[in-house]
Amino acid sequence: MLDENKALAQGLKRRDPGLLDQLIEQYQYRLFRYLLYLTSSRERAEDFFQETWIRVLERGHQYDGKYKFESWLFRIARNLVIDWQRSKKMLSLDALIDPEEGAPMEFAAKNQPSPLHLVLSAEEKSGIHASLDRVPGVYREVLVLRFQEELGLEEIAGVLAAPLSTVKSRLYRGLEALRGAMHGGAA
Amino acid sequence: MIDNLHARAEKLISQERVEGISQAEGDWLAEHLRQCESCSQIAKQTHEALRAFRGAAIALPRGLAERTRFRVQLRAQELREREPKRSLLWVICAISWALGIATAPYVWQAIQWIGERTGAPRLVLEFGFGLWWAIPALFAAAIVILENVRQANERDWSGR
Repeated sequence: MLDENKALAQGLKRRDPGLLDQLIEQYQYRLFRYLLYLTSSRERAEDFFQETWIRVLERGHQYDGKYKFESWLFRIARNLVIDWQRSKKMLSLDALIDPEEGAPMEFAAKNQPSPLHLVLSAEEKSGIHASLDRVPGVYREVLVLRFQEELGLEEIAGVLAAPLSTVKSRLYRGLEALRGAMHGGAA
Repeated sequence: MIDNLHARAEKLISQERVEGISQAEGDWLAEHLRQCESCSQIAKQTHEALRAFRGAAIALPRGLAERTRFRVQLRAQELREREPKRSLLWVICAISWALGIATAPYVWQAIQWIGERTGAPRLVLEFGFGLWWAIPALFAAAIVILENVRQANERDWSGR
């Protein structure tokens, strides 16, 4: 695995176009899903998706192959979203970093259906998608990384640039929120 | 005491998914779930919620990968075109510094001559000499900064 990552790092350093094409193909679903859960907006997820790969091209030399490529990829994507939020001042960065202290990562105004609801309900109006709408974005993020991406706790901490204790706390709360949302309780 | 048992079971149900539990804890939990209907229900709900979450599918926008590849290729081309310019900039700087070193005694003599004529203090002359040395570096830094600002403006895609 480490050898594979090292080879990947060397390819990225060379800005190997074939390798980038292959990576875009390989990770498109996972990255888009992560961005969609993070931004709650299909359009923004698309923008960030493209921008993430441009960053991968530009900063490929910074990937050293010591960690999983997807962790590095998700971290780039997340940083782009945070930079965007900072620049738009839609949400305080503190609230994003420490959601227990403030509003969770959502873009929708109060009393309106959230963009995630609109996006997801267009695809499937019932079931898990409708339930996920009731789980705060910041918990959805860790749930995706843990239970869909199967990342380890330390890897998630790396993506979030947050302490392990924060990751665990969000996962426990997220799991509780997900269970509540799926079974009709309040998230 | 009984409440503690249920709280422990509920904690272990989540912990099992998040960070894992020991064999002994797993055995205790299994035994408790066999006896406790409400905790068993929570375990079932957790299992179902995660199964549904893992199976949740998202539709990818059509042509997303192709559009991204196209943008990445354009950017790669742009970077490739820019690389020789950067190299040229550093070559010019290197030549400039080399010439600066070679001509330094003459330049200092010239500055001293100007100093004698104008009566400028030695500190001003030394500062002038230092500035003359720094000009290539300042010039290169200005170009790099301008280039970075231009790139940042180009990629100000956050308008949406």
